[in-house]
Amino acid sequence: MNVRKRITIVVLANAAFTLAVLLVAPTVGSTPIALSRVFDQSMPWESNVDAQIFFVARLPRVLSGALVGAALAAAGVVLQAMLRNPLATPFTLGVSAGGALGAMIAIALGLDVGVLGVTSVPIASFIGSLVAIAIVYGLATSQKRGLSTNVLLLAGVTLNSFFSALILFVQFIADFTQAFRAVRWLMGDLDVGSYSPIVAALPFLVCAFAVFAILPRTLNLLTLGEDVAAARGVEVVTAHRWAFFSASLATGAAVSLGGPIGFVGIIVPHLVRLMVGSDHRVVLPAAALFGAAFTVLCDLVARTIIAPLELPVGIITALIGGPFFLWLLVKKS
Amino acid sequence: MALSEKVLNTKDTKDTKNNYLNTSAAKRGLAFGRKHVLAFRKVFFVPFVSFVLFLGATTQPEPHRIVSLVPALTEMLFAIGAGPQVVGVSSYDKFPTDVQSLPRVGALLDPDTERILSLKPDLVITYGSQVDLQTQLQRASIATFDYRHGGLDHILVTLRQLGRRTGRMKEAETVATGIEARINAIKSRVAGKPRPRTLLVFSRDPRALRNIYVSGGSGFLHDMLVTAGGQDVFGDVKRESVQATTETILARSPDVILEIRPDDIPAGKELDEEMATWARLASVPAVRNKRVYFITGQQMTVPGPRVVEGIERMVRALHPPAVK
Amino acid sequence: MVDDVSVSLAEGTLTGILGPNGSGKTTLLRLLSGTRRPSSGRVRLGDRPLDELSRREVAQHIAVVPQETQLAFEYSAIEIVLMGRHPHLGLFTVEGPADLRIARDAMASTGTSALADRPFDQLSGGEKQRVVIAAALAQSARLLLLDEPTASLDLGYQLEVSALLKTLNRDHGVTMAISTHDLNLAASICRELILMRGGRVIAAGPTHDVLTPENVRRLYDVEADVHVHEDTGHITVVPVRRLHP
Repeated sequence: MNVRKRITIVVLANAAFTLAVLLVAPTVGSTPIALSRVFDQSMPWESNVDAQIFFVARLPRVLSGALVGAALAAAGVVLQAMLRNPLATPFTLGVSAGGALGAMIAIALGLDVGVLGVTSVPIASFIGSLVAIAIVYGLATSQKRGLSTNVLLLAGVTLNSFFSALILFVQFIADFTQAFRAVRWLMGDLDVGSYSPIVAALPFLVCAFAVFAILPRTLNLLTLGEDVAAARGVEVVTAHRWAFFSASLATGAAVSLGGPIGFVGIIVPHLVRLMVGSDHRVVLPAAALFGAAFTVLCDLVARTIIAPLELPVGIITALIGGPFFLWLLVKKS
Repeated sequence: MALSEKVLNTKDTKDTKNNYLNTSAAKRGLAFGRKHVLAFRKVFFVPFVSFVLFLGATTQPEPHRIVSLVPALTEMLFAIGAGPQVVGVSSYDKFPTDVQSLPRVGALLDPDTERILSLKPDLVITYGSQVDLQTQLQRASIATFDYRHGGLDHILVTLRQLGRRTGRMKEAETVATGIEARINAIKSRVAGKPRPRTLLVFSRDPRALRNIYVSGGSGFLHDMLVTAGGQDVFGDVKRESVQATTETILARSPDVILEIRPDDIPAGKELDEEMATWARLASVPAVRNKRVYFITGQQMTVPGPRVVEGIERMVRALHPPAVK
Repeated sequence: MVDDVSVSLAEGTLTGILGPNGSGKTTLLRLLSGTRRPSSGRVRLGDRPLDELSRREVAQHIAVVPQETQLAFEYSAIEIVLMGRHPHLGLFTVEGPADLRIARDAMASTGTSALADRPFDQLSGGEKQRVVIAAALAQSARLLLLDEPTASLDLGYQLEVSALLKTLNRDHGVTMAISTHDLNLAASICRELILMRGGRVIAAGPTHDVLTPENVRRLYDVEADVHVHEDTGHITVVPVRRLHP
């Protein structure tokens, strides 16, 4: 029962798998390409179609898929531990609803502001997420009791309902094409087409993951209950704050990059726990790595299965998620 | 045959009707009638029905108050001289300028039935899919003309049908043959020329290569492109609208990119940024040879009488020296 | 709510905090463990005030055993016990061989060594409590605070756990304070008692002196016989009749 060894083995195994997926994914797609041509330096860039497909179309897509998957899976793990609820998802606390509202507003108003190569919809989505985070945090914090997870959950659920109503309203007043774009955004889209959105999301993701790195043992204790955790030396309110902000930031950044891709934040944590147990020092890194691989693979299926047409990646994760939950339910009963 | 067998075989004794049908005379009479009705139906069915329809068509009164929910058909009405009869238009109608003063009654997703009824129309032009609205109008005894979206040919068919319906068949025929003549002229102009592989873009996120929707192998915009002497690079996908991705565009390497912007064309800094956006796909011939064009105008999005102007704009982009 | 209370727990003692529901037992326990701050007055560990210590430092000296432990996720018994080592580990430190040995010793002293790799949720009530006590012991704390440790257990497990507590206190010198409403449990294992009602301490001292029919009446409005067994000195409280205040 050597904890350090266990963590190392599991993380390395996951890392190897994920690395393999990340290396293979850009080489597979609806158009056959030859790796030799991709890396052929002698061919000028303008005429090298294979290289462009690899570096302009597929590689940014794979990278954003990996980042989004890792962020959502890790955020899912953190929120499930903090809320002591295996059914919590990164979207439970209203962050993605805020992101969706931001995106809808940008689409409906036809906003066209670009900053550092990032267009208005991702920016508006991220701002929407930040607003949601502020509202939920504000509602759940009180002088007396610090941050209450019960109120956090209630506030998140309420915000989800409220923002969903607003989203419906925005779709209603938007015209036909805008409403279609809005609905399409909700299904997730990783075809970022350039590295700028990835670079823009990176600082937030790095901050979130830096916090994720120090949370795991605290998360273990938090799952035992607030009083028990406190008695074991955990500063519960501080821990809740770190968990909430890091998970919400990761979710907001992921949603602004690829849209609200559902099910990753709940399937991956569950699968990982089934495989490695509940020690968050193993679960959190493993979930992040597996989440990356899972999302990239789902996107691979999405972009090849009905070529030349594509399915939105959120549909693939939902198609996997539905039966997965049925299976979980059957297994538990 | 099955019905008569059932009736004759019933064992009910309390039913006097059955008893009557059970007599042999009734049996013979029934059989005789059935044989001849069937024969009558076979011979006279088609002419009979056509006659009824013909009667219906010619006995439909000429409409004096028309409400149109379809902008393309509004334009057609004005083109064939039925403009003065138009009393209400959709929220999206823009042409001709006469419609600007007319009351608006909603559109495809949100037709305002009350408003329509308040205008006391005797003909309402609806989309074929607006079944609820059609039912409501039928109940109010208001005639409807149901429009279904189709290809380039369908525009002319609809034009002629509308002419018939409004009692302006001569004017409609004039307009239709005029359009046909212009289309044929364009076809012969571009006949011998090579057909550039074209990406016809309907919409896209501004300044990004995301949510790119392009023309597939069907629909009137596809037909316009083909008439203008272009080859649809997504022509093998039998859909009107296809979501293209960076990979599929790179793979299909179009020679020309036509972007439709119904309301305005980017200019100045915005134009540079949009060109820079496309420039990311450096290997696409359209980008390399700087053949990315923005086409503006409602002619591109309204499948109506001005469709020829749209085709001519496409020709200018696809075959520059062909049009002066 | 607790009002005007002054208690002290001497090292090595096994004190029972006795009283009806709502008497402030749990609040007192929370004050003693530092999870609640007093609005006036101070709680001291030795000669150091609790509010000057960080949560971590407090946890190094004081351990709490709650009435029930419900897990949101599945952990094995040894993982639960190892979590008791948290206050002694740095931010990135992983449990080492020393920690593992302490955990195993703790499990041995609660008779739960055989349960180490079993999922906690699948253990019986008594086994769960003993594992949780082991986790508290693994904290290497000088003071153990137990909140109604036998309240949700069947009679057999009650006996098991109370025997364990007595042994730990007697043989291992662990200072304990147990809050309970079970008179006989308190009588059988606690050498000192604190009687509470309505947020106040109505009596405190050695069990023999404090557990009198008079005090039982003051505590529970119940007339009871208090028998002291001649040879063993074992006290039994037998309720006779309910009195109406």
